[in-house]
Amino acid sequence: MTRVRRILAALRHRPVAAIGFALVLFWFAAALLAPVLAPFDPVTPLTPFAKPGAQHGGALLLLGTDTLGRDILSRLLFGARSVLVYAIGATVLAYAVGVTAGLAAGYYRGRTDTVLSFAANVVLSFPVLVLYILILTTIGASGLNILLAVTVASAPGIMRVVRGLTLELRARDFVAAAKLRGDGAAYIMLVEILPNLRGPLVVDACLRFGYVIITIGVLGFLGLGLPPPAPDWGSMIKEARQVALAFPHMTLAPAVAISSLVLGFNLLADGLRDPNGRG
Amino acid sequence: MKRRPSAVALAAGAGAHPAIPDLAATARRNAADRRDFLRTATLLGLSATAAYALAGLAPGTARAAAGASGGTLRISMKVQEMTDPARFDWTEKSNVARHIVEYLTMTGTDNVTRPYLAESWSASEDLKTWNFRLRRGVRWSNGDAFGAEDVAYNFRRWVDPKTGSSNKSLFSGLSAGGVEVVDRHTVRLHLSKPELAIPENLYNYPAAIVHRRFSDEGGDLSKNPVGTGPYRLAEFSIGQKAVLVRREKSAYWGPRPNPERILYIDHGDDPMAGIAAIASGQADLNYEISPDQLELVQAMPQLQLLEAATAQTAVARMRVDRPPFDKVAVRRAVQACIDHDRLLELGYRGRGAAGEDHHVAPVHPDYAALPKQRQDYALARKLLAEAGHPNGLELSIDCRSAPSWEPTTVQAMSAMCRPAGIDLKINTMPSEQYGDIWNKTPFGFTGWTHRPLGVMVLNLAYRSAAAWNESAYANSAFDRVLDRANATLDIPARRRHMAECERILQRDAVIVQPLWRSIFAVGSKNLRGYRLHPTNYHQLGGAGLG
Amino acid sequence: MLFFLLKRLGMLALTMLVVSIVVFLLLELTPGNVAAKVLGQYATAEQQRLWLEANGYFDPAFERYLRWLAKLLTGDLGESLCYKVPVGDILWPRLLNTVVLGAAVLAIMVPLSLTLGVIAGMREGRPSDRAISIISIVTTSVPEFASAAFLSALFVFALGWLPGTSAMSGGFDWRELVLPVAVLVLYDFGYVARMTRASMADVMTQPYIRTALLKGLTFRVVVLRHALRNALIAPFTVILLQVNWLLSGVIVVESFFAYKGFGALLLEASLFGDIFLIEACAMVAVVVAVVTQTLADIAYAYLSPRIRFAGGPV
Repeated sequence: MTRVRRILAALRHRPVAAIGFALVLFWFAAALLAPVLAPFDPVTPLTPFAKPGAQHGGALLLLGTDTLGRDILSRLLFGARSVLVYAIGATVLAYAVGVTAGLAAGYYRGRTDTVLSFAANVVLSFPVLVLYILILTTIGASGLNILLAVTVASAPGIMRVVRGLTLELRARDFVAAAKLRGDGAAYIMLVEILPNLRGPLVVDACLRFGYVIITIGVLGFLGLGLPPPAPDWGSMIKEARQVALAFPHMTLAPAVAISSLVLGFNLLADGLRDPNGRG
Repeated sequence: MKRRPSAVALAAGAGAHPAIPDLAATARRNAADRRDFLRTATLLGLSATAAYALAGLAPGTARAAAGASGGTLRISMKVQEMTDPARFDWTEKSNVARHIVEYLTMTGTDNVTRPYLAESWSASEDLKTWNFRLRRGVRWSNGDAFGAEDVAYNFRRWVDPKTGSSNKSLFSGLSAGGVEVVDRHTVRLHLSKPELAIPENLYNYPAAIVHRRFSDEGGDLSKNPVGTGPYRLAEFSIGQKAVLVRREKSAYWGPRPNPERILYIDHGDDPMAGIAAIASGQADLNYEISPDQLELVQAMPQLQLLEAATAQTAVARMRVDRPPFDKVAVRRAVQACIDHDRLLELGYRGRGAAGEDHHVAPVHPDYAALPKQRQDYALARKLLAEAGHPNGLELSIDCRSAPSWEPTTVQAMSAMCRPAGIDLKINTMPSEQYGDIWNKTPFGFTGWTHRPLGVMVLNLAYRSAAAWNESAYANSAFDRVLDRANATLDIPARRRHMAECERILQRDAVIVQPLWRSIFAVGSKNLRGYRLHPTNYHQLGGAGLG
Repeated sequence: MLFFLLKRLGMLALTMLVVSIVVFLLLELTPGNVAAKVLGQYATAEQQRLWLEANGYFDPAFERYLRWLAKLLTGDLGESLCYKVPVGDILWPRLLNTVVLGAAVLAIMVPLSLTLGVIAGMREGRPSDRAISIISIVTTSVPEFASAAFLSALFVFALGWLPGTSAMSGGFDWRELVLPVAVLVLYDFGYVARMTRASMADVMTQPYIRTALLKGLTFRVVVLRHALRNALIAPFTVILLQVNWLLSGVIVVESFFAYKGFGALLLEASLFGDIFLIEACAMVAVVVAVVTQTLADIAYAYLSPRIRFAGGPV
């Protein structure tokens, strides 16, 4: 509770971070309340190519419709759900894998470290996007596979960060004390070391979260996103790009949505990183 | 100007197919049949001019305003490998090659097939023996004379399974032994079964005629571009560009084409790239645009839209041997959910014709109109219950991610299925991946190209155990009626058989066919003398920049 | 140093081996129908069987892998299934194009982001710092596909200033390079600028800077003569690593603008399942990743002592 209050207090002094927080909060609320807020069903065709502000059966099409006549506002709101769900899922999964591997590599060092670091280097030596594309074109694009692909590609980066921090921490007194007490390795890693990584990891998570959202968008844009008719922001841009010059609202809306959500997380990370205004 | 019936025999000349006079008589009685007659009669070997005269039509199609001769025509299109014309699997490949190597016949933008390297042809009454008389005085670009040996070599190559040519399926009644060289300028084909569409198939894009020593000299057209055509290949780099330069006037047998140079530029897979290139003056024509882009093109004054009505389509076909589609009630339930007119509107901006789930197009001469299908959710739910799915059914359809109208249309279908309790999931994938499973997946959305006769696709895709039968549909009653249609030259009579074929296919609910689509391309405003071909074959002879 | 290089070289070889096996297995998982890809989807079963036999596809996977590996060691990258020509014929020209694009991006992005980063880090917390930081965050938050769409809508169609595609079909044209470069710079400069800012800000709080200022040197002189050098060492390694990032960053941009580069090639090859082309691209990617990492490490090690040297009392 006090921490929440502290964060809120911090936000009051940091308007930029507060804007980020508000953006993130906005999209979380939109995702949660999508069924209530959305004026239409996100996959039912109404009138194709309706411009923003047009009417359909007395209801307002605030952001217009897409090429298939689906209400763009409703698709954005429901799209926020899938983006956040998959981004959170992928980030959590990537952290579970990356933190475990990083702790193990940094704590045990030696052969464990060599093997894990090599594996991480192998994955990292692929251009990330290529890795996604390879994984998704071989196992097929679906929500689960997107989770898997993002996890495989992000975990090594997380592992590196955690490994570096762990290497530093394991030399500290409190770890030595725990060892003397006879605590098990797992206990030391999870109870003694992990809580100390919280600060840097929260910042890393915010940045990574933004990056994962962009990645999911890129995959949708390249045709490897969530299967249609799911209202996936990246796919929406891809589907509408053909007509974007005559009907710019179709790409502008999802592009602004994805940019604002990523921006929210990046501003938040900026604020959290740096209570004294330093990078 | 109308001619008397007696003129028929004269105009057709000796060797005309015996059915032609009857066909012509039918055509004159009924104006609607005239165009059908043109198509059938020219396929049977009557010259196009004679056929137009017989049908009482003004000769020739109105040509687009002619373009000027000379200059470079720049076309935005994928430049793919161009090794072996017999193994082409994309029209784009043939579009570069077709200016170098030529075909025996040529089907125009009016769907009428005319002589090309073959001067004339005739068929036996049972449509099993075909005689092709070849044009004289044609020379290959290496100086050799073109003749029957070249043509026989090509036929034998196509039907040899080692070649790997899709022509083998097209000429399935032909074996290497059935190709006879009668004299230096005549080739005869002996088929094991009747086939009406031989001349039409000879203009199918992998049927370009290569030199008789093609394989011996490396078997690679891009490296050794020997042809009879009006252009030579000056530069070729895959994925980037192909440059074709017009040969000397004396070196080419036919009328000299307008463009001095044809430049194909590869702008990659992005459909916007080609349009952007034309808009910014980097190209004069592109290969194709999707209907989504129509508004955009119309909004840009520097572009002109080219359109052709076609029998191109895509069908949501169900493997009738895989559950749950092995129950006809399930297939019919899916069909009952569909409002075809609305699908055409949503999926293709209403440009084309609504599908009728039997794969015969209104533009086909042998098309027979059936009673209109209706969307009927009560029926769909009843059928589902009958099939043992009273609480609805979850289905999954495989679909290519491009061209974009395909996933769009499938999404609209999915939305239509929901009220009946059918949850239609969509699994999109790259074209290449779909190519691996197109005839295996239980439920797939497969694109089909334009063919000028209704029987052609039915023979390829719905006959029991046919080469491209992707639904595993096997119905001997259907096969028998189709055989009768194949052997019936008289169009109204054939149409009766076709009506039966269409009814059987519709009743057995093998496919949901949303629509017949028009195709579109974009040209610059000053492009003249070019008409879009229904199969997007580039016939550029009359094209020029005004 | 020699030992370090040899170790890295061994690492490179090992990584390439592992990556090539992983790629091979990944494609082996869903082999699809290679014959159908090459002969077209409508080839008959017999035609496909003959082709597979002729090309050794009925041999076990490890045998085919070893065959590929043996060829690779002799410099033969195999033949592309999609393009049906030797892989090298397509790969090297495409890679060169991407090098051109990447060089242009770096040529603009590096001075821009260093300048902005130094200005921001020089006077921490000032409005100029906050403005630059926020601009960096905002531009980094707009995905490339979104900014590419915005920029081409504006400059190609609305204003008509620039060509919409960058296929370079009429030979090299710098105008066709503008939009791809702009999109990449826009997305990437913020990251490097922030890195530079952090490094600069860090240096500015060091005792020797404060000493220099206390000695009465002007702020300008202190920044130019003392702070800048040291502050740029960390960004330098970051920039080297951007080369690796560019290799995947170009995929979206190259496919958007039809630029004939390595990224677009990789995307096409992956979508097609063009195994030898993918393998070759993966090998290139590994080499670039390991070499840039090694260079960054060497540079850091080489520059670090001079940090102490230059950072001494003036």
